[in-house]
Amino acid sequence: MIKTVLLLIALTIVTGCKSAPVPPEVSEAEQQQLGLWKAGAEIYLPAEYKAYIRSLRDGQIHLASENNRFIWFRNYKTTKVEFTNILTQGKLLEAKVNEHKRALSGNISNQIAFYRNRIETLRKLASLINEGRLSSKSLTKAELQLAEVCVLSERGCYTDAEQKLKGISRHTEHAANSMLPILNRYADNDKITKWRNWVNETVESSKRSQSYSIVVSKVDKRLFLYKGGRSYKTYEIGLGTNGSHDKLYAGDKATPEGKYHVIKKVPGSRFYKALLINYPNEDDRRQFAVAKRKGLIPQRAGIGGLIEIHGGGKNGMTYGCVAMEDHHIDELFRIVDVGTPVTIVGAIEYENSVTSAMKKL
Amino acid sequence: MNRKRIIYLALGVMILALLLGCSKKPEQELADSKAVLEAVAAEGGEKYAKEELNVIQSEMTAAQDEMAVQDGKFFKNYDKTKEMLTQVKAKAEALKAEIPARKEKAKADAQAALDAATMAVTDAKALLAKAPKGKGSMADLEAFNADVQGLESALTETQGLMTSEDYFAALDKANGIKDKAAGISTQITEALEKVKASKKR
Repeated sequence: MIKTVLLLIALTIVTGCKSAPVPPEVSEAEQQQLGLWKAGAEIYLPAEYKAYIRSLRDGQIHLASENNRFIWFRNYKTTKVEFTNILTQGKLLEAKVNEHKRALSGNISNQIAFYRNRIETLRKLASLINEGRLSSKSLTKAELQLAEVCVLSERGCYTDAEQKLKGISRHTEHAANSMLPILNRYADNDKITKWRNWVNETVESSKRSQSYSIVVSKVDKRLFLYKGGRSYKTYEIGLGTNGSHDKLYAGDKATPEGKYHVIKKVPGSRFYKALLINYPNEDDRRQFAVAKRKGLIPQRAGIGGLIEIHGGGKNGMTYGCVAMEDHHIDELFRIVDVGTPVTIVGAIEYENSVTSAMKKL
Repeated sequence: MNRKRIIYLALGVMILALLLGCSKKPEQELADSKAVLEAVAAEGGEKYAKEELNVIQSEMTAAQDEMAVQDGKFFKNYDKTKEMLTQVKAKAEALKAEIPARKEKAKADAQAALDAATMAVTDAKALLAKAPKGKGSMADLEAFNADVQGLESALTETQGLMTSEDYFAALDKANGIKDKAAGISTQITEALEKVKASKKR
């Protein structure tokens, strides 16, 4: 009897050393699960990932119960098949996750490009109408948020990047809305037609009198000098903070739009040299009275005056005047006499720099 | 015969001891491990030790699976479950101990970035202050001023992220502000140079 017991113990020791090995698919699946988790399967494809995890857990439970069987009776054939299937399921999921991430990444890249373009266009428009102060704060916020989106996207955090992208449009829309009332003036065909008529009349008068006439186009930031009805010289100009608006009253810092003429030449101006024009004209007075009646301007406001074409540099901010480089006003001052027509318009062409930039919005 | 009986008795006692000694379900160990894992999460494990926490959670699941297998058996043996749970607890405790240092580092990094961003914005503001004011000043200056306002507003948001201990987001935001502020400073300097040059003419 003792011999039998000892034989049994010896047999157990010997066969115990030869227990069937756990299939390598088990550890491969564990590694795969970690890889899938790191790849964000749980975030991007939660339902599929959950199904995969369920299969893996079932497999692990079956493995654990197999491991708990007496050493002689352990058989991992079913485990191997089960984990092979789990690996296949995982590979399919991995491919799906990668595809999903590629699509997300592509979409985010497109949106980044879209917002970059939009911000650039809005900055350009702001510069065209001299209204950076209205839009720059929002555009800076949009740029900062876009920079964060880029960082998140580079790190592969696509969900966070997508979430952040949603906030950008709020800033770009705010910037666009702050400028739209001004921008629309330069895209208003009725207004442009009126301005074109003024310009044509001015050029015609230069032709008739065989003398000089001045046309200032706000959107082009140019002063065109005509002689005998023909373009003679072109100068770059600068306007004020509200230069893109039509002047309504004193202190609005807007540049008037209308048909004027030089009433005085000021050789010793604070801004080098100046040509004073006859703002307000009859139209301006009528417009002022209507605006006041409608309560569009402060009740105590006056109509203002002292609108000049002066030196000081085209980058100077004016309070409604037209600024030029000193050497340009020198030249113009020499050529132009008192009485020379000066027509100031928003735009001359229907297709101008503002309308073409607005198309990109 | 007497000798045989003694041997059978000894073997029987050994087997019984083996079976009964290990049959107690490790409820306490399970609860302890769960508690430590919860403490890791409460400490900010999801943010500062996401990967390690996930690995330990997988090991916890495996331990629970093992326990479930034993639960279904007639002769239960929770030795392996206990060992697995002990390991989970030890790893979770070690991880929990590491988190405060990681959090501190993230906080210090974010604070350093925020300080650098604040400095960059201050520099941009100082440059703007040097620019001529009122009529005759550059057209771009008002736009730059609005840019700086945007940066200041973003600095306030970053400070809010610091307060809510969202250090990684604060770091990214602060770095963005610093770069943008440096860019604006360069543009302001260039614009001021342009003004100086035109005045000399």
